[in-house]
Amino acid sequence: MKKLLYILLLTTQVFFAQNGFEKGNALYQKGKYQEAIKAYETELSSNKQSAELYFNIGNCYYKLNKVAPSIYNYEKALLLNPDDVEIQNNLKFAQKLQIDDIKTLEKVGFNKVIQDFTNTFHYNTWGGITVGLAILFLLFFVGYYFSQITVSKRLFFLGMFVVMLLLLVSVSSAIFEKNQYKNDQPAIVFSEVVSVKSEPKVGGADAFMLHEGTKVYIMETLDNWFKIQLTDGTEGWIENSAIKRLK
Amino acid sequence: MKRYLILLFLSFQVMIAQVQFEAKVSKQTLGLNERLRIDFTMNDDGDNFTPPNFEGFKIVAGPSQQVSQSWINGRSSFNKTYSYFLLPMQKGTLVIRQASIEIRGQIYKTSPIKINVTAAVEQPRDPNDTQVTADQSLHLVAEISKTNPYLNEPITVVYKIYFSYNIGITNWRELDKPKYNDFWSQNIDIKQLVAEEGRYNGEKYRFVTLRKTVLYPQKSGKLVIEPLSLDVDVQLPSNRRNIFGQVLLVEDHKRVSAGAKTINVKALPEAGKPADFSGAVGRFAFKVTPSKTNIKSGESLDLDVSVSGTGNLKLFTLPKPIVPTALEMYDPVHSEQVSTPLSGMSGKISDKYAIIPQYKGKYPIKPMTFTYFDLGSQSYKTVTSPEIMINVLEGPNAGDNSVAATSDTKKAAVLSSAQFKFIKLKTDLISMKQSDFYGSTLFYLLTLLPFLCIPIIVIFKKKKEAIDGDIAGNKIKLSNKLAKKYLSEAQKEIGNKEPFYIALEKAMHNFLKAKINIETSEMSKEKISEILLERKANPESISAFINLTENCEFARYAPSTSTAIQQDYDKAVAIISELEKQIV
Repeated sequence: MKKLLYILLLTTQVFFAQNGFEKGNALYQKGKYQEAIKAYETELSSNKQSAELYFNIGNCYYKLNKVAPSIYNYEKALLLNPDDVEIQNNLKFAQKLQIDDIKTLEKVGFNKVIQDFTNTFHYNTWGGITVGLAILFLLFFVGYYFSQITVSKRLFFLGMFVVMLLLLVSVSSAIFEKNQYKNDQPAIVFSEVVSVKSEPKVGGADAFMLHEGTKVYIMETLDNWFKIQLTDGTEGWIENSAIKRLK
Repeated sequence: MKRYLILLFLSFQVMIAQVQFEAKVSKQTLGLNERLRIDFTMNDDGDNFTPPNFEGFKIVAGPSQQVSQSWINGRSSFNKTYSYFLLPMQKGTLVIRQASIEIRGQIYKTSPIKINVTAAVEQPRDPNDTQVTADQSLHLVAEISKTNPYLNEPITVVYKIYFSYNIGITNWRELDKPKYNDFWSQNIDIKQLVAEEGRYNGEKYRFVTLRKTVLYPQKSGKLVIEPLSLDVDVQLPSNRRNIFGQVLLVEDHKRVSAGAKTINVKALPEAGKPADFSGAVGRFAFKVTPSKTNIKSGESLDLDVSVSGTGNLKLFTLPKPIVPTALEMYDPVHSEQVSTPLSGMSGKISDKYAIIPQYKGKYPIKPMTFTYFDLGSQSYKTVTSPEIMINVLEGPNAGDNSVAATSDTKKAAVLSSAQFKFIKLKTDLISMKQSDFYGSTLFYLLTLLPFLCIPIIVIFKKKKEAIDGDIAGNKIKLSNKLAKKYLSEAQKEIGNKEPFYIALEKAMHNFLKAKINIETSEMSKEKISEILLERKANPESISAFINLTENCEFARYAPSTSTAIQQDYDKAVAIISELEKQIV
């Protein structure tokens, strides 16, 4: 009897958890975007998230023509699922609503090659790969140690070195990727218009203006000022109330 | 005598040589409404007097000639003067050029004179002059609607000439046009001058409105409007009458000026002044209207930003719309439909922007704000236009403009699939507070564990090899194991006589094998007892063991009861355990 109760409790929990998302979907279908956002956000407030949830919220904001929240949610979805074509597509649509047109400066050189390589997996995946390689190394060692035939013994020995090398690569990739993740602090401008200063002072000289929806990268923090960098490499200081962090 | 004559002659010569010809003016500095007298005097008679052309002056009277010759104490003096009365026509420094005369075959010239003409000055009264009546009955007045306006608040200046009933005006000329420095001014044309009736200083007068001007102060502080000066031809009544008893009119002209006016312009209040205030003062309506909102790319769209109402319409700039970069916006066409009556400018100004979208999609034009200072409530008002959404229905997508150039039907079909995607209907929600696997204790444990296993494996293998190397020990171990195995088998078969005894026998043999290290083939009672004795076993136990072994063979074929079997089993267990203790 007690067991049954637990099962019931668990299933209803699951049922409720899905409910916010599905309720939002139904409201979106009816065109009630504002209410749909509220429904979706009940999920967020219960500390649940998914790329699809952020994508749907982004869609709602797009339909309401709210540039900054729309781009913010798409970017958030892309953080969870970077390769989703639909999210990238709709983000492109939302970016058309924004005023600023900032060129993306392509990174080049050796650093870029390394970054592209480590970018293939999340650092947690790299961690998993490391563990897998460690076990493989052990197996190769066992094979080498217990093998009676010379040829297979040699093969296993060689394999051990190869696996060791791969393991070192995956560990350093994980370290690199984690560092990259830590240093990469994107944010979205939420203020409609904000002037970026050349120094972190209220009366400082205006370096340039930004409009809502623009993606910036936080480099440094001082009091309530952020040093930001744009995708084209321009730098300046912005008040922290004007932007919202993605991470 | 001859010497005297020469002296006389010489002195006469000197007298003749001292010819003087000079120009004298009554004053060097005079007002625009004052007269100047200039005298050209010479002390010898001459011919061909040429006066200068008096540039900038008007000759009021002259030339009048005056000649005087006198003999005083036998000395004669001669004086001839040409006089002119001049009236300046303009302000500033004027130069009266040289006049020349020919005296006894020689040409003499005066030196040029500089005259400084200032603005019109008030003339002192002279009660006996006929001019006085003109002064009293002719007034030029500048009426200013407001002397302390706000910056950019319209004020009007109306010039009226008042004249009493007993004089007439025939004509006038403007001498000094008023200058409105730091004002934006607009003259209102008066098509026909109309004499109206009015009051001036409590007396009945007629007046004519000469000039109306609307002014917008462009600077705060004290601003001066420079006066208007007129030269008016008047008909004044004289004391004389004609034979019919009518008063004879005297033609005269009179200069009047309105006097300089000071206007104190207030700056607009700083309190509550919005940042985007562009200087508009008045009362306005602000509109932003697109010609259409649904268009194809490549088509153009007009965005009309207009302000209508009353105020300083020509004196501020309209706000500029902010559009996404994908919309190409061209410079605006500015148009003004403003009329300026006395109350100030009113009408409409507009900027028309041509916008051409580049790509398909929805583009917002941000709400625009227009701020003006409302004179009625003396506060700033802000009008915000609604956000306009431009929907570009057809056209290339942003990002793939290379494809946009080609008009391939296949490509168009592909492009049309690039739509705004619908929401996703399925999801797997995960907790936000997911701890990282990388960097966790589990990760380090799992990574290091295989490496920790390596020495364990090595040790394990070494040990195994050592064990495998010890053959005798292994045999003992095996027999021991078998003894135990058969004993337990015997216990299982306790109900069946034959297998029980076989198992029991085997158990006992193996026990011996393990303990005293002999082969089954060597087993005989004598040998067993001998070896066991050597190993210091109890002789009683030995005999019991041998007995039991013999009994096993015997009992296999002899009938026996289950109780006997049980007894034998117990006995075997007891003996084995006893021997185990005894054997060294």
